[in-house]
Amino acid sequence: MFLFILKRLILLVPVFFVVSVVVFLIIHLVPGNPIDNLMRAGSSSAQRVQIAAKYGLDRSLAEQYFVWMSRLVTGDLGTSIIQGRPVGALIAQNLPYSLQLGGAALLFSALTGITAGVVAASFHGTRLDDGISGLILLGSTVPSFWLGLLLILIFAVWLGWVPISGARGWTSLILPVIAAGVGGIALVARVTRIAMIETARQDFVMLLHAKGLSPLVIQLRHVLRHALVPVVTILALRIGWILGGTVTIEYVFARPGLGSLLIRALNQRDYPLVQACLLMLAMAVILGTLIGDIVQAAMDPRQRQARS
Amino acid sequence: MLLTVEKLEIAFGVFSPVDDVTFSIDRGEILGIVGESGSGKSLTATAIMGLLSRIGGQIVAGRICFDGAELVALPERQLRRYRGGRIALITQNPMTSLDAMMRVGPQIDQAARLHLGLDRCAARTRSLELMADLRIPDPALVYGLYPHQLSGGMKQRIVIAMALAGDPELLVADEPTTALDVTVQAQIIQILVELVKRRGLAMILITHDMGVVAQTCDRVAVMYCGRVIEQAQVNAIFEDARHPYTQALIRCIPRRTMTRGSMQPIPGMVPNVADQPIGCRYNPRCPRVADNCLTEIPGLRIDTGDHGVACHMADVA
Ligand SMILES: Nc1ncnc2c1ncn2[C@@H]1O[C@H](COP(=O)(O)OP(=O)(O)O)[C@@H](O)[C@H]1O
Ligand code: SF4
Ligand SMILES: [Mg+2]
Repeated sequence: MFLFILKRLILLVPVFFVVSVVVFLIIHLVPGNPIDNLMRAGSSSAQRVQIAAKYGLDRSLAEQYFVWMSRLVTGDLGTSIIQGRPVGALIAQNLPYSLQLGGAALLFSALTGITAGVVAASFHGTRLDDGISGLILLGSTVPSFWLGLLLILIFAVWLGWVPISGARGWTSLILPVIAAGVGGIALVARVTRIAMIETARQDFVMLLHAKGLSPLVIQLRHVLRHALVPVVTILALRIGWILGGTVTIEYVFARPGLGSLLIRALNQRDYPLVQACLLMLAMAVILGTLIGDIVQAAMDPRQRQARS
Repeated sequence: MLLTVEKLEIAFGVFSPVDDVTFSIDRGEILGIVGESGSGKSLTATAIMGLLSRIGGQIVAGRICFDGAELVALPERQLRRYRGGRIALITQNPMTSLDAMMRVGPQIDQAARLHLGLDRCAARTRSLELMADLRIPDPALVYGLYPHQLSGGMKQRIVIAMALAGDPELLVADEPTTALDVTVQAQIIQILVELVKRRGLAMILITHDMGVVAQTCDRVAVMYCGRVIEQAQVNAIFEDARHPYTQALIRCIPRRTMTRGSMQPIPGMVPNVADQPIGCRYNPRCPRVADNCLTEIPGLRIDTGDHGVACHMADVA
């Protein structure tokens, strides 16, 4: 198991370089550049050249990549061209908001989704199952920004229970978490429900019933344990989403966050900032998958042995 | 009688894959149930365990009477006290019968803790004893292993230990060795029968191996297409089989005196549940078929010697 993790971690190094090249090329090959965003109307082309030279934009792509990467490996993410502040500081400022919202939303969708899935699967084929499955379907089709606006209208504007927007205090987190989490609930609940129903059909479950165990114990202690393996996989895939997946919610609730930072930087072609954000998001997704694999292997004794 | 099954009929929607099963078994007895695959043996076992609703089936007629209690009428909550505690099940495939994510020892403990009220520690001690009884080498080590770390034969011993853990009076063993390697089959049957005898348990041994029946069972019920068509003491079945199907089954047993090619399979096929012949269900394959065989289903008639047979022509020949 330890060797398995070590191998996967070492494998991350080449992956990191490949991803960095892709990220670098994507942003440099799309039309537009940061200089347009810095120039005031009527500036001379001499000024353009001067600015380009200042940020190294006049050099070849290969050189620029090399400069970026050599700084990156020393931990220097560079300086934002448009905002003029270190990229590291900008990210550090926005990251906590994203982690808060994304983490809480993921936790919320995991707990609610698993619960809904367990209840639906345990009452498989009854009206309760139909009801939950219907709600799940509904939840998965509602766009999160629309849900966010609806929640604001009801709970902030009409009822006045929570702040309309911003990121001050934990109450301001409630609505964004719900709006961002609902899509995840649907996904988690669906996977949990199907996995539990499939597991419940297996021979060993019949034998557990033959021992006289109560259905509740069988569902929670045995069937759910098996069903959680695929659930962990999809939850892990969403770890990357924590960092960048809540952009629309950040917009609707006027919250700071990595998503908003990235979108703004993209519009302004702020190369160093975009590169750092994208690279971080990509690595978060890859790490998430790795964590998922490790947790899955730790949960399932068959895999644990196969990977040791 | 410890268990009496009478005119049991099991339905899935409009189909009744089991529609006339009658047999009984006393304490200390081993009853063999034989019959080709699809004849309703497993469904009968599932019905005795009260687990038909789990697979979408239903008992629509008949009685299952265990130690004076009518199980068919019993609510689920009370049935659970019988399951594992008084009647235990051993299933066919040990590869899929254990929870792959749980160590095997605690899986044995479960029934003892539930039905005997033992705590974790006492249950473990009991499980280890059971494992030793089943001749599992180094029980303390095996106790902590996961199912995938055990061979098929070992897994089946664990399944047997699980069944015995709740101290049941009746074991229902549904083809307990069919999925195993031929070399360990005899060994597992031997261990199982020895334990059952030593503890004075009753066992229903479902099998399609007449050889096993001859060696281990006290009584036999022969099933065909969802019906018990003959039942008797083992020696009566082998010396005086009265149903043409039973006679054919016995002819199929490979004997040492026979050469390989001389084994006679029963001609014809088992009919589909949805497409049963009218009259006796064996009539398309029966060499003695008469007129009323094509119109009337023969019922099981039990004579004074406790030998029951369901065939119109049983007394004729
Ligand atoms: N879950 C089920 N749903 C519908 N029909 C079933 C089910 N299980 C068994 N049957 C039907 O009942 C018949 C007898 O099955 P079974 O008791 O498993 O036979 P055996 O154990 O003697 O091989 C099968 O041929 C099948 O058509
Ligand atoms: S009832 Fe008729 S068809 Fe059926 S087994 Fe007897 S002789 Fe054959
Ligand atoms: Mg069967």
